[in-house]
Amino acid sequence: MASAPWSGPRPMRRPHPKVDQLQRTWYFFRRNTLGLVGLGIVLTIVGIAAYAAALPIPWTSVPIWCATDYGPADAPLTGYPGNYTQVCPTTGPIVCTYEVTPPPNAADFCGGLWYKDIVRSGISFPSIIAPTLSFSPPVAGPMPLGGLSTSSGSRTLYNLAGMLARGSDWTLFYSLSIVGLGALIGLLVGATAGFYGGRTEEAIMRVVDIFLSIPTILFVIVVVAVLSAALPASAGGNLFVKTLALVGGFVVVWWPFYARLVRSQVLTVREQKYVEAARASGAREGRILFRHIIPNSVYPVFIQFSLDVGTIPLLIGALAFLDFGPLLFVSTPWPEWGYISATSVSDLQGDFLNSCYTAATGCVIPWWQFLFPGLALFFFAISVNLISDALRDALDPRMRR
Amino acid sequence: MWTYVARRALLVVPVVMGVVTITFVLFTALPIPYQLLSHYGAPTPKQHCGYSKQCTCATLDPTSVHDGQCTCISPPTVTTPTGICQNPVYHEYVDALGLEKPIPEQWLAYIYRTFTFQWGNVSNYSTVAHYYPKLAGEPVATAIAWELPYTLELASLSLVIILVLAIPLGNASAVYRNRPIDQASRILSFSGYALPAFLLGSLVVAGVILAFLPHTGFDVKSPWCPAGEPIDQEFTYSLPISSACYPGLAVGASYPGWISNGIHSTPTGFLTIDALIHGDPWLSLDSIIRIILPALVIAYGTVATLLRFVRNSMLEVMNLDFVRTARAGGVPESTVVGRHAGRNSLNVTITVLGLTFAAFLGGFPIIEDVFKLNGVGELLAIAADPNPAVDFGVIFGSTILFTFIIVAANLIVDVLYAYLDPRVRLG
Repeated sequence: MASAPWSGPRPMRRPHPKVDQLQRTWYFFRRNTLGLVGLGIVLTIVGIAAYAAALPIPWTSVPIWCATDYGPADAPLTGYPGNYTQVCPTTGPIVCTYEVTPPPNAADFCGGLWYKDIVRSGISFPSIIAPTLSFSPPVAGPMPLGGLSTSSGSRTLYNLAGMLARGSDWTLFYSLSIVGLGALIGLLVGATAGFYGGRTEEAIMRVVDIFLSIPTILFVIVVVAVLSAALPASAGGNLFVKTLALVGGFVVVWWPFYARLVRSQVLTVREQKYVEAARASGAREGRILFRHIIPNSVYPVFIQFSLDVGTIPLLIGALAFLDFGPLLFVSTPWPEWGYISATSVSDLQGDFLNSCYTAATGCVIPWWQFLFPGLALFFFAISVNLISDALRDALDPRMRR
Repeated sequence: MWTYVARRALLVVPVVMGVVTITFVLFTALPIPYQLLSHYGAPTPKQHCGYSKQCTCATLDPTSVHDGQCTCISPPTVTTPTGICQNPVYHEYVDALGLEKPIPEQWLAYIYRTFTFQWGNVSNYSTVAHYYPKLAGEPVATAIAWELPYTLELASLSLVIILVLAIPLGNASAVYRNRPIDQASRILSFSGYALPAFLLGSLVVAGVILAFLPHTGFDVKSPWCPAGEPIDQEFTYSLPISSACYPGLAVGASYPGWISNGIHSTPTGFLTIDALIHGDPWLSLDSIIRIILPALVIAYGTVATLLRFVRNSMLEVMNLDFVRTARAGGVPESTVVGRHAGRNSLNVTITVLGLTFAAFLGGFPIIEDVFKLNGVGELLAIAADPNPAVDFGVIFGSTILFTFIIVAANLIVDVLYAYLDPRVRLG
């Protein structure tokens, strides 16, 4: 190769083949505008995650608004479900306290009523002090849109913008670790099955078939429910154990897709001439598998990987929609986009729409609550989809038409 | 072809056994009290703390017997090792279920119980019993059998919508590649992938409710229930909520007798059919109207994945030689697309439909929960709700059922494929 008679005055330096391949991939990726847009969105999310991780942005248990006039202390408000006592001072502006752990009842906050209770009890709140970084949608607008800058997900007030910013790193962490581990296991298992063939392949692929015939979300539900019952109660508050259970529960479900994908790719790669050449020159099986077969059958994994990363928050959201939040996370509300949007839409259905029926004067639909988390989810999923499409064009020569 | 079908049907056996084994592993991973709970449907009795001869404890705390283990009050230093100071009823239960036998024996017993539909009982204190009091204490298999027809009705309607949408749209976007219809179907499939069903479904429900809110002035009632039901409830729930919707019923009776418990109907269990049998054509229509929106939401998500495959397979077929030959021979374009190419890409469509069937059914718990429908998915969604208590019997039972349906669907798809492909059918 290097002795090719170049016509120029100086011999051209060819880059290393790997670098060359990367450059070529990037060249084809670059030509896909939508793929670039997707990449830009994902990089922005990564940037926000880094920014939110570097700055201590408050996200939970932050009273979004506090009132100066809320009636006498220790007086239960009418129409409020359950027993609670008001522990706020009676006069003067309230200093918003930053709680570390959410109290069992959101009403324990200073002036921390659920919005529907404000609507129902007709209490007016003269001054609203919004801390930094909270959205301020139109204040007290007419129905059905408008309202205060509250965010109530799972009945605990939190700062929506801070929550979304803090949520980006957890969202990325869950998605990447689950799909990454699943892809790694699937890659190894699938490559082994495809490479060795025979009984090994038959056994592995039957197991994969079994796993694939259980719907993903049902499997995750069962695994997470069993894990949460099987783990000792003391582990419930442990961040590490909870995260491990969530990631592990998903990975158990996730690897078979990759095993099947890689195996079908390996079946064609193992018949290639270069594998034959490696075998003829006396390479050991392990070397053939890891140096020749896996690197050459890995590209569909990248494509599928980028596609799957977007589905994880959607699945976590679906689980949270079924009230799995306390089982999945060490405390709720938890900064994860799927969780945030799921709890906001179920709140929307449960509380706010009912209040629309009962309220005589009108009702407020907190549209910002599900719009912004929903948009975050939507753009994340769609951008990884676009990246996956562009990667397919760049990596698969047959697709370049 | 029949040897192929037989060989394919034989492959179902290891998959089914494997699925049952996976659920067995998960079941065994549960703590024993949960296993008992999921099988017997009620918590183990609390008041029996056993003073056996080996138990050196003088006073046992009778209220502490949550998992069969008694707490010793005096002397407090005496710990109660497993097997001693246990409540005798608990032990009887454990023995009856064989939970202390070797694992292979337990496995065989579990498989036997699974195939004889002994899936346990609905726990009296679980979320399922909380929402459906009539199901409390019933066998899980019975509860699922009552709910299954609703799910089948929803599934068939959405399958029809999926096939009606995906195949023509996919073909059209391949034929008119990069033209507006292709771009529109691309947007449809991207957004269907990125919009989770719980979000889309909730927004649809909220939109319907908002549109027909009393304040907005469109305070419309269901045509056949003018007294009782607001029209937005017509698009959620499987049955009318208000008893006023049943003219001719006695005051206080909420449903006609053939919808016992407000859950299952007789004789077939399919509300659409039973209503016709009992001479209630409007209720039959009503039950179809109620599943139109959820079916559309499910179809949206499934069409999104299916559409790409139909388009790509159609594109590949359109480039093949026999299509070019047909065109060159002067066959009209519509015949080329419909008969030559379309027929061949149909095989791929059916295969992909079989592959996406698991994801399709997996969406049912969410959708039925969003639209508050009856169905196995809703049963599973409620059973998985940890507040107040998860019902493992229902979770395992409905998961096994869904998986069996998927295995059967894949078998049907493969047989259909064999039938459609002359190389397999005739060879």
